[in-house]
Amino acid sequence: MEGWAGKILDIDLTSGSIETLPLDMEMARLFLGGRGLGARLLWDLVGPEVKPLDPENALIFTTGPITASSSQTSNRFNVSTKSPLTNTLLHANSGGWWGMQFKRTGYDAMIIRGKSETPVMISITEAGISIDDASDLWGKTVFETTEALGQDRNKRNVLCIGPAGENLVRIAAIMNDKERSLARGGAGAVMGSKNLKAIVVEGKEKNKPADKDQFKFMLYETGKLIKASPLTSQALPEFGTTVVMNVVNEIGALPTRNFQESQFEDAHKISGETITDTILVKNQACWACPITCTRITKTASGEEGEGPEFESAWAFGAQCGVGDLDAITEANFLCNDLGIDTISMGNTIGCAMEMAEKGFIDNDLRFGDATKFKELIRETAYREGLGDDLAEGSYRLAEKYGAPELSMTVKKLELPAYDPRGMQGQGLVYATSNRGACHETGNMLGPEVLSLPRLIDRFATQGKAGIVSVHQNSAAVIDSLVYCKFSAMAVAEEFFARTLTAVTGQLFTADDLMKVGERVWNLERLYNLREGFTSADDTLPDRLLNVPVAEGPSEGFVANLDPMLVEYYQFRGWDENGVPKPEKLEELGLAELVQPVM
Amino acid sequence: MAQVKLFGGLQRKAGTTAVTIPGSNIQALLQNLFVTHPELETAVTDDQHHLQPHVRVMVNGHDIELGDGLETAVTDQDVIAIFPPIAGG
Repeated sequence: MEGWAGKILDIDLTSGSIETLPLDMEMARLFLGGRGLGARLLWDLVGPEVKPLDPENALIFTTGPITASSSQTSNRFNVSTKSPLTNTLLHANSGGWWGMQFKRTGYDAMIIRGKSETPVMISITEAGISIDDASDLWGKTVFETTEALGQDRNKRNVLCIGPAGENLVRIAAIMNDKERSLARGGAGAVMGSKNLKAIVVEGKEKNKPADKDQFKFMLYETGKLIKASPLTSQALPEFGTTVVMNVVNEIGALPTRNFQESQFEDAHKISGETITDTILVKNQACWACPITCTRITKTASGEEGEGPEFESAWAFGAQCGVGDLDAITEANFLCNDLGIDTISMGNTIGCAMEMAEKGFIDNDLRFGDATKFKELIRETAYREGLGDDLAEGSYRLAEKYGAPELSMTVKKLELPAYDPRGMQGQGLVYATSNRGACHETGNMLGPEVLSLPRLIDRFATQGKAGIVSVHQNSAAVIDSLVYCKFSAMAVAEEFFARTLTAVTGQLFTADDLMKVGERVWNLERLYNLREGFTSADDTLPDRLLNVPVAEGPSEGFVANLDPMLVEYYQFRGWDENGVPKPEKLEELGLAELVQPVM
Repeated sequence: MAQVKLFGGLQRKAGTTAVTIPGSNIQALLQNLFVTHPELETAVTDDQHHLQPHVRVMVNGHDIELGDGLETAVTDQDVIAIFPPIAGG
């Protein structure tokens, strides 16, 4: 293969059919792969009449044209589906090895439809493709399943769900390579609803570049830049993603105790610096990644595993008022083993803590108390006790007990680790993200805090819409290639375009790629509009819109969303209701696609 | 004297997470910091005494780049934060 394998594996678990479909190469050029191709396939396959946990929902795994090419960070893959947490289009991506290995089986994507009557797993190996009984695996944890199926990092890779996915927990993740995750939005529950426990892949095919010399040149040049950047060669390897804990806290944008405050007095105890000094065992890298940001850690009680990443450390840390790094780390490990999104789990527990303190639920949960983390996580995975409510996510939990205003969510997806009152642009990112509150779809930490590529006033609103839109488009194209966003800290879109050109033999410019990103963003928007979402859903929790930060560097600020939204719709070429205008759809090549339904 | 908090690799270089340093503005404060902690100088500034790329200096949580830069005034009540290049999230 040269970039694209040209094939999609199509599996129907109801009938047991396994077919190979050709990849529409025009579609591939317009949407590349990963998140973009996933959105495009989902548009055709899953309409508004389908509920997320219906057999008719599709689980679509996609790689990109650069996946498995050995270009730096070309290990990632994507899953697209309709989310049981948000009811929006869902995309989630993960690193590790599984994506590379799946691509090596000779497929660009895999569509899984229908529902098996009994638990099954899918094997894609040289021996063939099969749907096999997995009754003996049902009920096993992620770690047990991964081991039982013979995970062998570079040869045989396991993707699976844990008990949370089996029990249709709305914040369940799909896990791959033991501790990597397609975390957000409940894709694990969709997999569980299909009675699909695991997918094992072994591949031998190579993604060979069409232009070997140019590819080697880009590999060399990209490697030089990653090595030269202090961000990718020093900060991330030395301290991991959690190194930003202190800076986000310092500026007064670290959500604390369910976003009641924006600075955490114990932030330093859960920071990247402290992790490196206390519990770090070693670094680890995903396939073909020179950055090595993954942390292998060990707690005082001897538990060892991956993490915590920044978001996980925040979710069980500042969000819950907990400064106990060992407790946070072990909560992270347990979420990985049971297959739960750490951001949503920690955020939801923080919400429950506030509800308990204010008497909305009869429970002795309190901010700062980590002793119940493991019990609550297990109860969530198995839907027992309060866990049955936590399994529904923060919004449904808070709504059930009469306090929806305490849920820190957008479109029912739990907010990540930045308080929009101290980072106005981040608020716009959260409000407009197509999968709900998400930092990965256009993170403004770079321009608003770290001066990447240059510093802008984090409290300003005027002019933010354009910057946010460009960041969102850029994130969408990186997720469609699929690269890791950390590589973009060292190299620009021009490098991605030249590498893509070398791999596929088709000319792509940086402008072409940014147009793909804009196309993907608009298609996702169209999908959500078709589902019935409106501009009214482009909002933030009332607390962030109307309750000023009480003290610290962001004191007095609320998220000033409305003026940014007006500008945003204009910049995007959407009407005042947030609907893409016909001329924008024409420009992006989407007009024909939506003609029958808009 | 203002409190100066150090983060990331600067903590290891200095062997501490915070120091108190005199100085009426950031420029003066940094010069004094480099007297007591010369190991920090090349990590924070270049030959021209400009901040190294990606180094962030904040006064009470506000980046000096959006203030008066190295001329930003400092009082004894201020908290200064110096971050080496960091990334993540």
